[in-house]
Amino acid sequence: MLEIPAQIWQKTKTSYIWRSLFRHGYPDSRKNQSLAVFTNVFLHLHPVKVRRHALAIPYTWCMGGLTFFLFLVLTLTGTLLMFYYRPTTEWAYSDIKDLETVVVFGQLLRNMHRWAAHGMVITVFLHMIRVFYTGSYKPPREFNWVVGTLLFFFTILLSYTGYLLPWDQLSFWAVTVGYEIARATPAIGDEFAFVLFGGFQLGPNALLRFYVLHVVGLPLTVGFLIAIHFWRIRKDGGITGPL
Amino acid sequence: MTAPRGPQPFPGQEKRLRLLAFVRQDSIVRVDKRVEDTAMVWPHLLVIEFIAAMLWSIGLFAISAAFNAPLQDHQTPDCTPNPSKAPWYLLNLQELLLHMDKGLAGVVVPTLWLVFMAAIPYIDRSREGVGIWFTSPNGKRITIFAAVYSTLLTFSLILLDAFLKAHGYIEFASDYFPGGKQLFPNYVIPIAIMIGLSVLLVVIVKRLYGASTREWMIAIYTGWVATYLVLTVVGTSMRGPGMDLFAPWAVPATHQCFAPTK
Repeated sequence: MLEIPAQIWQKTKTSYIWRSLFRHGYPDSRKNQSLAVFTNVFLHLHPVKVRRHALAIPYTWCMGGLTFFLFLVLTLTGTLLMFYYRPTTEWAYSDIKDLETVVVFGQLLRNMHRWAAHGMVITVFLHMIRVFYTGSYKPPREFNWVVGTLLFFFTILLSYTGYLLPWDQLSFWAVTVGYEIARATPAIGDEFAFVLFGGFQLGPNALLRFYVLHVVGLPLTVGFLIAIHFWRIRKDGGITGPL
Repeated sequence: MTAPRGPQPFPGQEKRLRLLAFVRQDSIVRVDKRVEDTAMVWPHLLVIEFIAAMLWSIGLFAISAAFNAPLQDHQTPDCTPNPSKAPWYLLNLQELLLHMDKGLAGVVVPTLWLVFMAAIPYIDRSREGVGIWFTSPNGKRITIFAAVYSTLLTFSLILLDAFLKAHGYIEFASDYFPGGKQLFPNYVIPIAIMIGLSVLLVVIVKRLYGASTREWMIAIYTGWVATYLVLTVVGTSMRGPGMDLFAPWAVPATHQCFAPTK
């Protein structure tokens, strides 16, 4: 009875197309497990083997990985939100209202984006704490710590630019606080605030600028920095452990 | 028997080797690495990553199903909520704004701190304690000491500031301080406190615990984490209308529409 599906499976696995997709057998042997990792574009950031120490959850808390996971969730939910949202003062607020009332699962989508954003600020902070207290910034990882510091800064900027977009009282006045701070920058306060917010008060320009920064500029920057961050982790010998 | 895949060597050249990479001994390959030290990424690491991603996906779904993201009325510039607060992760800066000049608290201090933080590996260049939580038992003691020191001092300074301002500190400063209510209350005193207490912390851990560079760095960093958390908590849950200080359980509701008197 099961011979027919087994035969089909066998045929599929030895077919020309399948072998062009997967250049190794099922990863149940050391060789195939190695091939599975380094012939796969999504897995090749990993080495084939890691030190057992690096698997210990009490050591890493998984926080770097979870930060990346939340970044992916935010990219996905954010892209979906972009289908429903127009960054103009006429539409921004009503588009969010529509998400909550008209769009199927719109409220869930927005909630996921919101809570994941808060979560990412927390996980990136905890990740930084873990890295510091385990001395993981030490040679040869000095520069990767610098990249990490930038990622912390950009995560907060990403979260902050997204905060304005609903264009409600909460977001408007929260960002006003930031606007006042930007204007208080010594020597170049007014110019700095003008460039960042597109005017001397929070209006349509500020909304558009924050939107563009939020959906294009900052995610691209963070994406590049993440690539550098991960690549350097590999090159510097993976997760730290006792010498 | 499947045919060999991939580019095949030309006949007669089967033994040729290619140089793939230069590998420093302290990076990827450890010469003394023993086999039992390592685990295959597939399946051991990938399983952990998969389970973590699944659990967090479920958690995020559950939280998002249970709690709605806040949305208030359409913004209107004529109607200022009192207090207006930044998102919680910036309330530490907003809290700092209450105690010194805006530009100093909002821009200069965080910028300098970020630069200092990025510079940590260039100041502490030793390899002491890589991969060990808190480096040593001494490091753990220093962490606890610095956390208590910074929490208590930050909290006391916030209370002291609120107390003094309630008792005419600003008026007193503008009458008697050189430079009035700007120079000393907004610049000199806060800068002196921030630098002075940090230096004092380093001196104490060096005297008390004989701290190495790594260890006094732990003290400074712990001091920052504790201060950051105290400022965030106070800014989030202890500031009411007018950004006045309240006990967390007695903070009055935000006035949603506060028309400024002209």
